[in-house]
Amino acid sequence: MSEQALIERRPLTRLGGLGRTLRRIMREPLGALGLSLVVFVVLMALFADVLASYPSTKLSPADRFQPASWQHLLGTDHLGRDLFSRVLHGGRIALAIALGATGASLVIGIVLGLIAGYGPRWLDNLMLLLFDALKSFPTVMLALTLVTLTGPSLTAVVVVVVLVSVPGYARIIRTQTLVLKSAEHVMAARSMGASTARILAVHIMPNVIGPILILASMDIPVVVAIEAGLSFLGLGVRPPMPSWGSILNDGFANIRDSYWIVVAGGLPIVLTTLGFTFLGETLRDVFDPRLRGRG
Amino acid sequence: MNKLSTTNLSRRTVLAGAGALGLASLIYPGAQARAAGSTLRVRSYGDIQILDPAYRLAAPEGDITNVIFAGLVITTAGDKWGWKPMAVETIEQLDPLTVAFKLRDNIGFTDGFGQMTAEDVKFSIERIADPKNESPYAGDWVTLKEVEVKDKLSGVIHLKEAFAPLWTSTLPTPSSTILSKRAVTEAGGKLGVKAVAQSGPYLLKEWLPKQRTVLVRNPDWKYEQGAYDEIHVHPIEDEKTAELGYEAGDLDYTWTSVSSITRLKQTPPADTTVVEKPSLAFVWFGMNKAVAPFDNPDARRAVQYAVDRKAVVDAAYFGAAATANGIIAPGLVGHREKNLYDYDPDKARELIEKSGLAGQTVVLDILNKTERLSAAQVIQANLADVGVTVEIKQNDSGTFWTLGSKENEYSKKLQMVVQRFSMQPDPSWATEWFTRSQIGVWNWESFDSEEFDKLVNEGKVELDPAKRDVMYKKMQDLMEESGCYVFLTHEVAGVMYRNSVVAALKPNGEPVFADFKPA
Repeated sequence: MSEQALIERRPLTRLGGLGRTLRRIMREPLGALGLSLVVFVVLMALFADVLASYPSTKLSPADRFQPASWQHLLGTDHLGRDLFSRVLHGGRIALAIALGATGASLVIGIVLGLIAGYGPRWLDNLMLLLFDALKSFPTVMLALTLVTLTGPSLTAVVVVVVLVSVPGYARIIRTQTLVLKSAEHVMAARSMGASTARILAVHIMPNVIGPILILASMDIPVVVAIEAGLSFLGLGVRPPMPSWGSILNDGFANIRDSYWIVVAGGLPIVLTTLGFTFLGETLRDVFDPRLRGRG
Repeated sequence: MNKLSTTNLSRRTVLAGAGALGLASLIYPGAQARAAGSTLRVRSYGDIQILDPAYRLAAPEGDITNVIFAGLVITTAGDKWGWKPMAVETIEQLDPLTVAFKLRDNIGFTDGFGQMTAEDVKFSIERIADPKNESPYAGDWVTLKEVEVKDKLSGVIHLKEAFAPLWTSTLPTPSSTILSKRAVTEAGGKLGVKAVAQSGPYLLKEWLPKQRTVLVRNPDWKYEQGAYDEIHVHPIEDEKTAELGYEAGDLDYTWTSVSSITRLKQTPPADTTVVEKPSLAFVWFGMNKAVAPFDNPDARRAVQYAVDRKAVVDAAYFGAAATANGIIAPGLVGHREKNLYDYDPDKARELIEKSGLAGQTVVLDILNKTERLSAAQVIQANLADVGVTVEIKQNDSGTFWTLGSKENEYSKKLQMVVQRFSMQPDPSWATEWFTRSQIGVWNWESFDSEEFDKLVNEGKVELDPAKRDVMYKKMQDLMEESGCYVFLTHEVAGVMYRNSVVAALKPNGEPVFADFKPA
C-alpha cells in the first residue's frame, strides 16, 4: 500500500471490535483464505515441538535424501535431517523474527513519526532527512554490509529489518500527525491544558495506528523474505538452526536429485507470504472500502 | 528525411532477409561454430585478488598468471605429470646443483616493457627466494644460490643443495614465472591486481570483480598459440552453483562437486564429457593453538577424538571420497596408511572435562561452499555430543582466504577452520605451509615444531625416495601429535566440459587454460 493511499484515507481510523473485524474479514474469500493461512502457519510454528517427530538438528546421514513418506512427511535433506521438523522449527524462527522485528519497527516508527509530526519544524526536517537517508540504502546491500561487519546472527537480521522498516512507518505516522495536529479535538485538548505527551498518546496515536497496523501486516512477508534470503546466502540464521532460507539453499544445491527439499523450503515462504498479504489487503478493504480493488 | 525512411524496407523484405540469414547458417554451419567456439567460458573456484605470482593466494590466480605471464616451463595436460618449455628454448639440468637455460627469442612484455631477458629471470626467481621479500613461496627456491646471467637470453640457476621437487612443484608452477624487472620495480616491488608487462599466450583484457576475467589471445606470442580468441573465467565459489550454471549453458568447463560425480557420470548433461580424476588436494579441520581454548593441548586432543572423520567425509561427499590419513595423497612419497588419533567419544569426553572445554562455545570458520558447510555441520554435531557448542561462520572467498593472515586482526581470534589446499605432485608442497615461518601466512593453526621445520628442509634436498618417505610420514605424525589437525580427505576431482571442447587437464583435473581447444 502506498503512503499516498494511506494519506488519502479519512484521517480518523480506529480498529473496530475484534469480533466484528474478524467477521468482516471472513466474509471476504481472500480474507478468509489469508487468515486461515496465517493461523495455520502460526499454529504449526507454535506447536512445532509437539508436531515434529524428530529433532530439527539431528543428523542421520544414512537417511539422507529420503523422499516424502509417512516417516518423513516432507522427506529428508542431504544430512538426513527430517524436513518437516526443520520447516516447523524454521517457521518458529521466521515468525519470531518477522513479528519481533516488525513490532520493534512499529514502536520506533510510531514514536519517531509522532515526534517528527508534532515537534518543531527543524526537528521534522532533520528526521525527514534521517528517514530518507535510511530509505535510500538498497535493502540487500544494507543487509549484506551489516552482516559482513557484525557477522551472521539473528540480531543482525532483526536490526536490518528495523532499519529498513522504520522510515516507512515513521513517515506515515508523521504525515497523519501533521493532519491531526490542527484537528478540532486536538486543539480543544490543547486549549484545555493537556500535555504534549497526553495529546500524542490519547488524541493522536489511536487515530493513526490503524493504517500502520495494516501496513505492518503486509510487511511481515517482506521480513520473512529478508530473513530467508539472508539465510539462503549463509548470512542469516546460523547452522544448525533451521531456517526456510537455509532449507532452500540445501535444496537448491541438490535440486536435480532431490526436488522435495526446495519444495519444503519454498512452500512455507509462499504460504506465509500469501497469507499475510491477503489478510493485510482484506484488512485495508475492511477499514477503507474506498480502496477496495486498488493495488 | 533520413536514409532509413527512404529505403523500401517492408515486412516482407525483413522476413526474406531473416530467412536468408537462417539458410546461410544452415549452409555454413562452420561459421556459427567458429563464432561460438572463439570464446571459451570456464569456471574458477575463486576470484583473483593479486596477480603477482610471488604472492598468489590460491590456485585460480595461478591458473590465470600461468597464461598471462610466461614461466620457464609449464605443466603439461595429460594423465602423467610432465612439463614443457614455455619461455625457454632449452633448459637442462647439468648436475644436481646446476640448471642451464636459454630463453626463446622474441618474448616481449606488454605496456612497453621490452623483451624478456635472462636478467628478468634472475630478478623473478631471486625475488621469490629472498627472505626479505617474504614471499609465501620462498620455500620453492629454498636451496637457490643464485641465477647467473650468461648473456641476454641465457643463464644458469645455481643451487646450494640438490632440490628434489625442482622439476615437479617449483619449475612448472607460478614460482618460475618470469616478470619484467622494470615493471615490478616501477610498481614498487609487488604487482597488484592490475596486470602489467604481460608476456604469455593470453592477455588479461578485463576484470570485473566477482563476475569474470576476460583473457584475449596475445597476438605477439610467437609460439604455440591459444586456440580461442577469448577465455572468460567466471569465479563461482560453490561447485553446485557452477553445475547449475553449466547445465543452464553458461559455462563450457567446470569442476564439479565431489558429491555430484556419480550422478553426473550416470546421467551427464547433453553433449558433455564427465571426467573423474584422482585428487592430490587435502582437506582438514584445524585448531589454532595460539588462541584459547585451543592453547590447551588437552582441548585439541579432545576435539581430535570427538570428530568422526568418516561421518564428516561421508556426509559432505555422499560417499564419493575416501577419508585421508594425512596431507599427502595416495601415490605420492610420504603417504600414510593410517593416522594416530581417531574417533573415540569417550576419550574425548574425558579430555574435555580435564581441559575445561565442556560447555564452551567455539567458532568454526568455513568457506561458504555446500560441502564445507555439510562437513562443518557434522563436526558441530560431533562436538555437541561431547558437550562443546560450535558456531559455524560462513565466509565468502575474499574474506576466508585472509582470515589467518597476520595483517588481519581476526587471525588473533581464529579458533577453528575447515581448510583445503591444492597440491603439486611432490610431498614437499604439502608440508611447506605448516612451518613456523608460515604462521600468519598459511599456517593458521600456529603449529610450531622445530623438528618439523628441520624435516621440511631436509625433505627437499633428500633425493632417495625411501628416505623421503620416512621423513614425510614423520612430519605428518608431528602435525597430528600437535593436536592441531584432523585430516579429512583428499577428495576426488570431478570435471565436466562440452563435447565441443578438448579440455587440457593435469592428472589431478586442474585446467591448463592455454591448451584448451575446440573439438
